[in-house]
Amino acid sequence: MNPGLRAVAASLDISDRITPEKVHGSLYTDPEVFEAELHRIFHLGWSFVGHESEVPGVGDWVSRRIGRDPVLLVRTREGEVTVLANRCSHRGVQLCAGNSGTTGSFSCMFHGWTYSLAGELRGVPQPVGQHTDAAALSLSRPGGVDSYRGFVFANPSGTAGSLHDHLGTGGRELIDWAADLSPVGELDLSAGWLGQRSPSNWKMWAESDNDGYHLGRLHASLWRVAPGTQYESAVLAGEERVVSTCRDRGNGHIELEFWKGYDKELAWLGAGREKVADYVDALVAARGLERAEELLWRGPPHALIFPNLFLGEMNLAIIEPVSAGETVHHHTPLLLAGVSPAFNTRILRQSEAAMGPAGFLLPDDATASERMQVAFSGTGGWMDLSRGLGREVLEGTDRVGHVSDETVNRGFWRHYGAVMAP
Amino acid sequence: MSSVADLTAGPLDTLDPPALDAAVAAFLYREARLADESRYEEWLALWTDDVHYWVPSGTADYDRDRRISFINDNRNRLTTRIRQLQTGVRYAQTPASTMRRVVSNIELLAVTGDEVEVGSNFVLYELSLQATNELRIWAGRSTHLLRRREGQLAMASKVVELVNASQPLPNLAFLL
Repeated sequence: MNPGLRAVAASLDISDRITPEKVHGSLYTDPEVFEAELHRIFHLGWSFVGHESEVPGVGDWVSRRIGRDPVLLVRTREGEVTVLANRCSHRGVQLCAGNSGTTGSFSCMFHGWTYSLAGELRGVPQPVGQHTDAAALSLSRPGGVDSYRGFVFANPSGTAGSLHDHLGTGGRELIDWAADLSPVGELDLSAGWLGQRSPSNWKMWAESDNDGYHLGRLHASLWRVAPGTQYESAVLAGEERVVSTCRDRGNGHIELEFWKGYDKELAWLGAGREKVADYVDALVAARGLERAEELLWRGPPHALIFPNLFLGEMNLAIIEPVSAGETVHHHTPLLLAGVSPAFNTRILRQSEAAMGPAGFLLPDDATASERMQVAFSGTGGWMDLSRGLGREVLEGTDRVGHVSDETVNRGFWRHYGAVMAP
Repeated sequence: MSSVADLTAGPLDTLDPPALDAAVAAFLYREARLADESRYEEWLALWTDDVHYWVPSGTADYDRDRRISFINDNRNRLTTRIRQLQTGVRYAQTPASTMRRVVSNIELLAVTGDEVEVGSNFVLYELSLQATNELRIWAGRSTHLLRRREGQLAMASKVVELVNASQPLPNLAFLL
């Protein structure tokens, strides 16, 4: 970040743009706010980078961004998963182009500086003239890198405290829940990613991914032509009949508890026990009857791990901020290790139906966000986020509302306001 | 301007090559026009019963059961796609984008009995009218499997390899 922008990021005060009931739309459109977010949220805080199953073998890498910074998620020779700057320490050339690959080392195209899989500078052509000690020229890496159940997070500044505390009980429970669906307790994110590019702000995606109020209206076109989904009882049956809830788990982690409104077990898979008997048996054997029954009813979670990880039922998504007015929403199917190929293919087909630029759901969400961006791009105005304020309740430290309530938006913005304070 | 060739006489591989070329080109141009004009029912009627409509996330050389695709429709899913567009509240295409595409570089890759495999390139200009009014350019290669059906051509398979298939894409809710 250049010094001018860093000064903006350090001093900008947005506290008058967030109240308990409303948020000002300039938080979506203001380039100075965006710069401050890159610093305060993505540099000073933890964000999701990738999953260990994406780099199963030594030398496997995938390309990601932390905020705007290109990084590599890499499996080292020792079998560890690490995060390295995708930028040569010499003249700053991006080391790896493309989305993913496998290599024995990272070699810069410009002058041939070569780094180990762990990012140590190993070779400099014409070494006699080399002045600075190689040890000082390793690839830069985030100050904090940690993982939970294979989910790798990074905190570039290294000052955010522990990942354990960032996730909190709420975040860890959500990740456990997703991973526990696998009989061997592991996800297998090997089906590749689709990116949805949208001229809209990244926070709109965090919110719309976790908005239980919009499904009946914005996505009406799908329910009309695909009746009988689990969402009918969970969210579409009408405000008074729907028993599903939304939950603010704290730290900006928010959840839609559709599972409370399902009308049968395995509703989320669209298949009865008889069709997936091997899976049911394996899950009961691995988790015990009680937890297995709970997982078979609930299916995967629907939640945001602040700021950029969406656990979207059969999908996992990364929300990548590009600029105040541009976002890429990347998603991959939430495939499970230890299940049959046919089971994972079923998940893959569901994922293709729902998500991505040609899915039956996501393009409509993109359109709504893009219209918000258009409408706020001038002098803008306030958003009302008060829905459900009169009926949400505290469960422990969680706030819980009707699934259509904006309890989750308020939870997101409350945490956002706290971490954005200068 | 080619008139539609008479395909009632016999299998495609018995036709004079120029006649088959003309029939194939006429089909591709018609399909492109129906897609451009979001004439969903007529476009759907171009398909045989066994639909394979595939927009891969890269080159079309991978196992569709193991890796994700932008579109990977059989008859059932394509019908759902079209019916959703026809509701009038598929907001990602409400209003429908105005589009024009140019289809070119048509090559007959294989002619066997009553089937012909055709490769072609396209460039498509799309005005995204739903939010930003942005003019978007799409380009790629289509591979059609066409089949003779009741004396006319119909498509059994269409695979569209976008030039930018490895990259994030904006809304792709129209007919490619």
